[in-house]
Amino acid sequence: MRILVHDEGDDVGIVLMDVTAGTECQGSLVRTGAALPPVRTVEEIPFGHKIALRPIAASAQVIEYGGPIGIATHDIPPGAYVHVHNLRSGRW
Amino acid sequence: MVAGVTTTGFPRPGGRLGVRNHVVILPVDDISNAAAEAVARLVGGTMALPHPYGRLQFGADLALHWRTLIGTGRNPNVGAVVVIGIEPEWTGLVANGIAQSGKPVEAFSIEGNGDFATILRAARAAKDLVTQVSAIERQPCSLADLLVGIKCGESDTTSGLASNPALGVVVDRIAEAGGTVLFGETTELTGAEHLVAERMATPQLRERFQAMFDEYAKFLEEYGQDLLGSQPSKGNLAGGLTTIEEKAYGNIQKTGSGPVVGVLEPGDAPSVPGINFMNTSSAGAECVTLMAAAGAAVHFFTTGQGNVIGNPVTPVVKICANPQTVKRMSEHIDVDISGLLTGEATLVEAADRIVSAFAATALGRLTAAEILGHREFVLTRLHRSA
Repeated sequence: MRILVHDEGDDVGIVLMDVTAGTECQGSLVRTGAALPPVRTVEEIPFGHKIALRPIAASAQVIEYGGPIGIATHDIPPGAYVHVHNLRSGRW
Repeated sequence: MVAGVTTTGFPRPGGRLGVRNHVVILPVDDISNAAAEAVARLVGGTMALPHPYGRLQFGADLALHWRTLIGTGRNPNVGAVVVIGIEPEWTGLVANGIAQSGKPVEAFSIEGNGDFATILRAARAAKDLVTQVSAIERQPCSLADLLVGIKCGESDTTSGLASNPALGVVVDRIAEAGGTVLFGETTELTGAEHLVAERMATPQLRERFQAMFDEYAKFLEEYGQDLLGSQPSKGNLAGGLTTIEEKAYGNIQKTGSGPVVGVLEPGDAPSVPGINFMNTSSAGAECVTLMAAAGAAVHFFTTGQGNVIGNPVTPVVKICANPQTVKRMSEHIDVDISGLLTGEATLVEAADRIVSAFAATALGRLTAAEILGHREFVLTRLHRSA
């Protein structure tokens, strides 16, 4: 099950299919195709939505595209679904 | 792989080439829509552009209204214009603004004459203009001669992953070939605006960009939390985009990597070749309408969840990398690059497909939006009328 990741060091990637909990996912970088360490989903994630690649602490910045895309509102384990329920904007 | 591609375009007096050859019936104000639409029904080969405004506007809002109407008439895809307004002074203002480009323009006002007499005279003029304009022959040119606008809409994560990066490759190729690309959507840059600022070619441009961005941000702040319901939009959220910053990072992928050489007021034509920023709303049709007013001959519009808008004078080429959308909304999509997500295509191959669509559209292939009658012509307002 492939995940696409923008930049090395990103906290999140994008799942390319609806995935169920317990699925092993293989990440690769969008521009180069380079492989990243695998991560196992801990819950369902819909196609095109984000999966955490590493643990993210509540109130920490979440990094995607090499930059901050918001603030975690809860602790997020690797393999978790990341969206409005645990991520909020840092700007608005 | 843009520099070498030749195509053909319609020559216009003293200006850029166009890829369409419209005769436009242009109402100055809402009162003149009925007459303009009646002329377009009577005379084949014409297109009316009805809109809801043009009365009791003032200041910068009125100036933008003129710039947008005049710019639309001056767009290189337009061969001639019949202007209809309620009274002669403002009608003349619009007509003269377009006529300064050298293309044929006729003007009629309804006050004192009535719809019927106006329609008769305008239809006669329109018929002669269609005869004239339809005889204009295309001449050879390069793709880089055609001014391009870009936008993304109904974005989702496939926009930032795939369709926007692919378009960004094309934008860089166009700029390297000496062409010009317009991008805008000022508030949608929020979170990534520093990356755009860094690319400004001079400190003065950077200052102007920052001032525009800050002014728009301040305007939004005055409306506070209400905005959170509309940006990211419900469609963006359903597609997996969570925050404005994430949307912005994905958005700017389409702007390429080259320097930004111009910072434009809404509707202003670029004067320096290369990548230009224009201060626009992030609402799709408003943005595309302003870029058409600046002279864009072709517009590239990436979408994730399926945006459907077009523009009356500029063909809008829809590019999508979402494999569900390209199937479920296939009638709206011009370039399917979902292969980028399945691993079947590389970024360079996807960019090549966009360039092929550019060439085909320039030569006359109709976009989905043109075929489906999507001609969204939406004027940007800056404030209330008096």
